[in-house]
Amino acid sequence: MEQKLNPKVTQQLWYLTVKNFKSMIREVSQLIWIFGYPLLFMLLFRFAYGAEVYVFMAPGVTILGPVVLISQLAGHFADEKESGTLQRLITTPVSRQSILLSGLFSQLIVAVIQIVLMLLLSFLFGASYHPNANIFLVFLIPFLVAFSSLGFGLLLASFVKSAGSAGGLAWFIILPLQFLGGLLVSPDVLLLEFLPTALALRAMTAVMIDGSVAFDPVGLNLILITIWGIGLILLGILLFRRKTAIL
Amino acid sequence: MDLAIETNNLKKYFGDIHAVDGIDLQIPRGSLFGVLGPHGAGKTTTLRMLSTILHPTSGEAAVLGFDIKKDAREIKKRIGVCPQELVLYPRLSARENIHLIAQMHGMAKKDYKERTDELLGKMNLLDRASSLVKGYSGGMKRRINVLMAVIHEPELLFFDEPTAGLDPQSRRVVWDFIRDFQEKESTIILTTHSMEEADDLSDELIIIDHGKIISQGTPDELKGKLGEGDILEFKIKEMEQRDEIIELAKTLDFVRWGKPVGKHRIVLNALDGLRRVSEIMDVVKVKMEDISVRKNTLEDVFIDLTGRRLRD
Repeated sequence: MEQKLNPKVTQQLWYLTVKNFKSMIREVSQLIWIFGYPLLFMLLFRFAYGAEVYVFMAPGVTILGPVVLISQLAGHFADEKESGTLQRLITTPVSRQSILLSGLFSQLIVAVIQIVLMLLLSFLFGASYHPNANIFLVFLIPFLVAFSSLGFGLLLASFVKSAGSAGGLAWFIILPLQFLGGLLVSPDVLLLEFLPTALALRAMTAVMIDGSVAFDPVGLNLILITIWGIGLILLGILLFRRKTAIL
Repeated sequence: MDLAIETNNLKKYFGDIHAVDGIDLQIPRGSLFGVLGPHGAGKTTTLRMLSTILHPTSGEAAVLGFDIKKDAREIKKRIGVCPQELVLYPRLSARENIHLIAQMHGMAKKDYKERTDELLGKMNLLDRASSLVKGYSGGMKRRINVLMAVIHEPELLFFDEPTAGLDPQSRRVVWDFIRDFQEKESTIILTTHSMEEADDLSDELIIIDHGKIISQGTPDELKGKLGEGDILEFKIKEMEQRDEIIELAKTLDFVRWGKPVGKHRIVLNALDGLRRVSEIMDVVKVKMEDISVRKNTLEDVFIDLTGRRLRD
């Protein structure tokens, strides 16, 4: 049998991304986690604490959603390792880079849907947007949080061996990012200002409530979150490749 | 001879464990080659090295003319691997699972769609092809597992225990499918611990144990080495006397050889064994229980070589 097939990397990447996305949206528990968790906090702040408090909490709540992608991505790769599908894919002429990137891309698609939905709901629930608020930045800030969250997720995926342990251990990253980043407490009590969530909260508050587009606090914080994201993803790729290396 | 696989002193050690300990193979293209051995013998490790997902500790191997260390991607373009475990995406349909592997190999959409449905039809799975795999029975999943390995018509196929856990009817379907595939001039490497599977399917096979090849030949050649007698197997209670019992049995001119198996059983090779059981009973003078008489099988070859059963 003569060999005529010559797989293209871009096509492989596309098909893997579609596969990941389909697998994700067909699992109800994952949908509840991705969309239900941030929605729960939105409802909680809006109806338990009232409209006045919600105005100040809304920037943090919109950032809260993308942070859950840490457990999503870590769970995805842990599941691929645990179930053997990662190894099965590696027996085909697809590179581990394509497998990794497809995991990241599918989660970023989910992040876009999640962010748009949460911003709309946030608006409907009475979040106050400054008349000069830059809508692009309002979207970009949580998107960059999603990006850095995927870096954390990839790091976690390098160490865990099962989707169950990924889900559990992810909380050790998610909760500090949420609480120490000030998402679930008053913006006045930020504890670790260098965390990507804290940087994002400062930028989001400035854009949404003050209508600012100034370099400090918006531009500078966006650059810092991007550096977080790129750094974590590069480190995550390095570790993930090492942990799944052919020995 | 045009070889699909050639290995030279191939080894894989995991610390102190010598999983594969110096395997030399020459497998001709177009053959269905069996690798028979008990669990933990080194079959799957050998297969993983040859399919380039595991690096050997030492030794050389060429697959379809490509070096397993240097040309992994070229090898992967040309092989199909059916793993021992059921490795499927549960939230994709059968069709989507198979399509994914075809897509990774760069098949044209029209080709893989047509071929997927053709293959699903052969495995009697067409009516459930669009359902999510998570709702399938174990047997159905096992068949999808096989189809994912063959969708791209590979030159060389690795089947690792392809029928493990299948009911006899489904096993027969998979065996027919493998035979059919070989007729298309593919080379097939079949690892199994099932003597029936190895006997039924293999043109030639090796028996491996503790990471080493302990015998090689066609199934008939291997069975022929045991002689023409029947295999008489029985259980005894007096195991401390087992060597003595075997020696007594061997005093009969029609008993060719005898081996203890496990803790309580003895296997004898005896000409015309069925008719002469009573003569053996008279000589050994112990109570023989659970007696069976059968023709030579590959399991008996393994017992002869190792004193153990394949499943021990």
